[in-house]
Amino acid sequence: MAIKKQESIVITFPTTTAAMAFESTAQAAGVQGRLIPVPREISASCGMAWMSRQTAEKELTDFLNGEGAALEYMGRYELML
Amino acid sequence: MSASDFYNMTMQEQKLDCLGMGCPMPVVKAKQALPQLADGEWLSIDVDGETQVQNLTRMAQNRGYYVEHEPLGENFTVRIQKKEQPAAEAEQPAADSGHTVIVFGSDVMGQGNEELGHILMKAFCFSVTQMDVLPRRMIFYNDGVKLTTKGSPVLEDLRNLAEAGVEIFSCGTCLKYLNLEDAVEVGAVSNMYEILEMQMQAAKVIKP
Repeated sequence: MAIKKQESIVITFPTTTAAMAFESTAQAAGVQGRLIPVPREISASCGMAWMSRQTAEKELTDFLNGEGAALEYMGRYELML
Repeated sequence: MSASDFYNMTMQEQKLDCLGMGCPMPVVKAKQALPQLADGEWLSIDVDGETQVQNLTRMAQNRGYYVEHEPLGENFTVRIQKKEQPAAEAEQPAADSGHTVIVFGSDVMGQGNEELGHILMKAFCFSVTQMDVLPRRMIFYNDGVKLTTKGSPVLEDLRNLAEAGVEIFSCGTCLKYLNLEDAVEVGAVSNMYEILEMQMQAAKVIKP
């Protein structure tokens, strides 16, 4: 028994502090999403990542290009989670 | 003919008046009364809350007894019919289940930095949703009930898990103490007897 996976966008960060800063800014800007542990498909190392469902793709991209442009992040991935 | 018709025609019932008794007293009284009943006999318990009805129903179902309830004015009557169980089932309730129970005694994961503890707890709950095999039950007590109630950052995960069949229980005493009784968003309200019983029946108990 498992839960059905959904198309998701994952943003990774150099540090947990950067992930936390991203979370508070993105949530204040109304971006749908949340922090999750970095998926095993991306990295075996420990850390936090931001996840938005594919349905929030546009608001996330707008945020990354606008209000969130100054925020520190490493990679952007598309995964089933 | 339904079981209750049969009951009305043939059986004397043992009665328990548990009106005004808070959780978990009706369950305690019923557990004391049931061993004194013969197989097939009925126990009728008057209670004044839906939580008590749910707790009695779960207790009876866990033992494989027939259970029903009906309104009694503003209160409820719960009827349990005692049935003989197959010996193996009665003695070893969870011997073959191999199931996992996750117990949340706090809304943070680990001790130390609280902000980090909140983040780790969110990460933990999301990770549970990603497992190929889900736990059978998740139990929340003390500050853990902040995870099942309004404003919790993990409600989406818990709702997804509940939909997939994971049973979720919050400690009633804790909800009352923290004034969160009306704020439960997912799962059922339980008591200390069940909280202990569910852990004793588990093959594995995980505490984040």
